[in-house]
Amino acid sequence: MNEELDSQLSAMFDDELAPEQCELLARRLSRDEQLKARWGRYAVIGAAIRSERGVRLNAPLAGRVSAVLLAEPALVTTPGARPTAVRWWQPLAGAAVAAGVAVGCVLWLRAQNPLAGAPLSAHLTAATVSVPSAPVVPAAAAGAAESYVVPRTPAVRAMVPSTELANYVVAHSVFSSPVARRNLLSAFMTSESGTAAEEPPDEPAVHAQ
Amino acid sequence: MPSSERLVALTLAWAVAGAALAQETPPARAPAHKTSLDQAPAQKTSLESAPAHKTSLDSAPAHWLERMNQALTTRNYDGTFSHWHGGRVEMLRIIHRVQDGTVSERLASLDGSGREFIRAGASLTCYLPDKRTVLVEQRPPEESLVGFPAVNDQSASFYDIREGTRTRLNRRDTHVITVSPKDEYRYGYRLWIDDSTAMPLKTQLCDRRGHVIEQIVFASLTLPAHIPDSAFRPEVSTAGFQWLRNESAPPAPTAATLAWNAMRLPPGFRMTARSAQTLPGSADPVDHLVFTDGLASVSVFVEPQRREHADQPAVPESAAVGSSSAFSTVIDGHKITAVGEVPPDTVRFIASQLKAEELPAVSSRRH
Repeated sequence: MNEELDSQLSAMFDDELAPEQCELLARRLSRDEQLKARWGRYAVIGAAIRSERGVRLNAPLAGRVSAVLLAEPALVTTPGARPTAVRWWQPLAGAAVAAGVAVGCVLWLRAQNPLAGAPLSAHLTAATVSVPSAPVVPAAAAGAAESYVVPRTPAVRAMVPSTELANYVVAHSVFSSPVARRNLLSAFMTSESGTAAEEPPDEPAVHAQ
Repeated sequence: MPSSERLVALTLAWAVAGAALAQETPPARAPAHKTSLDQAPAQKTSLESAPAHKTSLDSAPAHWLERMNQALTTRNYDGTFSHWHGGRVEMLRIIHRVQDGTVSERLASLDGSGREFIRAGASLTCYLPDKRTVLVEQRPPEESLVGFPAVNDQSASFYDIREGTRTRLNRRDTHVITVSPKDEYRYGYRLWIDDSTAMPLKTQLCDRRGHVIEQIVFASLTLPAHIPDSAFRPEVSTAGFQWLRNESAPPAPTAATLAWNAMRLPPGFRMTARSAQTLPGSADPVDHLVFTDGLASVSVFVEPQRREHADQPAVPESAAVGSSSAFSTVIDGHKITAVGEVPPDTVRFIASQLKAEELPAVSSRRH
């Protein structure tokens, strides 16, 4: 696919292509398998955006887009059917609908993403942290085994223990169980150092026996 | 230290571990005498051939947990162990002594950071050579020997405590106790507890799915009758270090103050302690609330937001210390920080649920 055609396709997807050029491109879209595949990839990207970011793609509209794209070859190759029977606006309508949806996705992302330009993973982490989990039991009733929603586990960045955090860790350690206290303080003593070992090492007794 | 060298060191350490373990004392308050554990007849029980099974709270697994906690808090011991977490392994030494009712403890990193933690009664000192800082925290005397809540029916309902097949570890007979959490608000443990001394020779911290996220294995362990005071002196040279202390007395209760409480808690957690204190390097009073489910605990620290930060937006912040979690946020002009050996979601939820109520004088108390 030449760059000009790709650029036009992208512009149409972004609703930035002139109407007359849209008409021409829509016609070509209906008979160019490579171009159609390209358009399909745009649709897949839109679907991926929808599933990951909560964008709701209007199912009937999406269906119409797919139907137009899938139906066009049949229409073109149907014996006896005149090419002119394929109204130019049919593929254009599908493309326009898809482009509209895509534009909606982009706008939605821009509106929802305060960290535009930041890595997606970072944004997701921030979003997860900002959304409080929705469990649990009233403190007064704590202890009663009630049902609750298991929250998602956010990514936690390892932080160099600051003096303030050190204070908290030391103060908390007094109230930890003996085993937990040893784990907590050991981790605090060893942060930032140690030798890499992807798996927990077996006890050396294996080697000594 | 390269991995190969560390492995050799560990192997050598284990070679002498059997001899090291050959000496032990009974609990510190009992008459001190040395016993050769290796010569003691191995205890044979029906558990040895029995399949792993679940037992009631009063039976063997919970009993072994209590024995282990008792051993860790009342015995004298001196051991070297490896600590693995997050793909890194490091050697540490721990020395613990109970003498005349006073607990002394020293935990030191043998390679890497060189940090040391020393407890002498109610005084906790943390040496941070990498930060050229020493923290000294004076705890209330009544907290010098905090008894951790025993495993009870309530906490047991949130864990599955089982005993596995007995295993020999470092030429010692051990009971393997598995503590599995029933939800994702807490971690679980696998513990290799020495038959004779009830000391945990190997500990694995596991997530909800049973994946090991932290492991401690003793390379050598002695239980001497007497440990000299010199064993609790730091090896860190503190010349030029800044010392941060909290020697000022805890703030006195005022006529009217804020009492912070969690509106909701994860299942099984309850508040077990509340105190007002100051932390090293800070003159501001801090409320310290402790929540526990009987095995895991979470501390929540509440302090007024500093003036220089008052006009800044509150940005929740998460941190991790090994497998333990910390979460900090701002509520009603107060900085709320939760720390605990629990998953990140648990500290985040507890911290987010704190709310202040204006009450008459609130004094330091335990529940």
